Amino acid sequence: MKHDFLDKYSNLDSPIHRLDPRVKILSVFLAIVIIVSEPLGELFHFVFYFVIIALLVGLSRVPLKYLLVRCLIISPFIVMAAAFLPLSVKLSPELQPDYSGYSVYHASLTILFKAYSAVILLVLLTSTEKFQRLLLGIRKLKMPRLVGVISALMYRYIFLLTDEVLKTTRARESRTPGKLKKSKIKVYGNQMAMVFIRSWERAHRVYDAMLSRGFHGEFPDTRTLRLSGSDVFVAIIFVGILLVIRLGI
Amino acid sequence: MHISDGIISVPVCLAANAASIIIIYQVGKKTEPEDIPKMGMMGAALFVASLVHFPLAGASIHLGLFGLAGIILGKRAFPVIFTALLLQSLIFQHGGLLTVGVNSINMGAGAFVAMFLWRWRTLPEYVRALLAGFAGIIVPVMLMAIEFQLSGYGRGIVYLLSIYLLAALVESGITLSIVKFFRSVKADILPR
Repeated sequence: MKHDFLDKYSNLDSPIHRLDPRVKILSVFLAIVIIVSEPLGELFHFVFYFVIIALLVGLSRVPLKYLLVRCLIISPFIVMAAAFLPLSVKLSPELQPDYSGYSVYHASLTILFKAYSAVILLVLLTSTEKFQRLLLGIRKLKMPRLVGVISALMYRYIFLLTDEVLKTTRARESRTPGKLKKSKIKVYGNQMAMVFIRSWERAHRVYDAMLSRGFHGEFPDTRTLRLSGSDVFVAIIFVGILLVIRLGI
Repeated sequence: MHISDGIISVPVCLAANAASIIIIYQVGKKTEPEDIPKMGMMGAALFVASLVHFPLAGASIHLGLFGLAGIILGKRAFPVIFTALLLQSLIFQHGGLLTVGVNSINMGAGAFVAMFLWRWRTLPEYVRALLAGFAGIIVPVMLMAIEFQLSGYGRGIVYLLSIYLLAALVESGITLSIVKFFRSVKADILPR
């Protein structure tokens, strides 16, 4: 089966695609830190943040429709968190929130804007880089060894397991057309257990193969990333501009 | 149940990320090479579990399997949960990049409590499985409620999060079902 939820637009060519993955990961992380640190209620700065993000989207050549669909998929979680703030504050009369003179609705909108900014930046990060290079970037940024090894294995198993889940779901649905009347939980539990056992056995076979090739707890990685001065310069300018906006200089 | 970027304050997120990295280093010292394929597979299972939607009261919920991760991997569940959440935030934007640490600590705590409940040998196995599955969801939700309250949401958030009680009940039933299936088909997956 084909899964296109990963690095769909990573083959495009743009200035953002050409940046080093480590620079991209660090820049996006710092950008999210700066944007999320905006005080609740402060909406004016988001005009500038969104202009910069729009420029990045334009430069990256990632289709706007794809970006909007990604935002739409994640919207229920974000909108619920933002919309619930005024209600939650109303339900807690002992709470005296201080939004620097702004209303709770301003605060709610700020949460919405912060979350969408972060989502768009993350979509840009994963759409402008091959996922394996992104994982390599994470490893080269001195993340714990265990995270690097687990993510490398997960990257291989995710597709196998997704196939297993889709196949067993189709089998379950074809055997139980319409709604399941009884023991719904048991049927779903057995499906997951079956997927798990098949994958578990496969994991052991893969491990035996890895051992025979000399695996000792780490994957040898000869791939290198080349960090250029211009990449660092671009990152400093990008983060610097966001910092200037955040500090209101 | 994933907290997005923009809700929890930056210092809390950074502290949680630092704490997560320390926990992963500590767990890493006690991890044998033969554990790693199981951890990778469990991470992928946690990731893919979110694709299985269980119909409930006209809506649908997706599985978490944090209780099961605690049962099978014990303390080693934490780096697996951290990595699964990191990849979920990158691929699906579920949760956030900055909140990976907070989300990992919430869900890792669920797996941790599930591990202790599973090791409570005086209880029958089916009760331990039910409790572990329930804890895998309810503990993260309780921690999330505290974090939201500290972020200015007040008590009101508790009402919203109470809907997860139903999800925790479903998850405990599914965990029991999985454990029973393992016991009858492939018992060596379950730790002795």
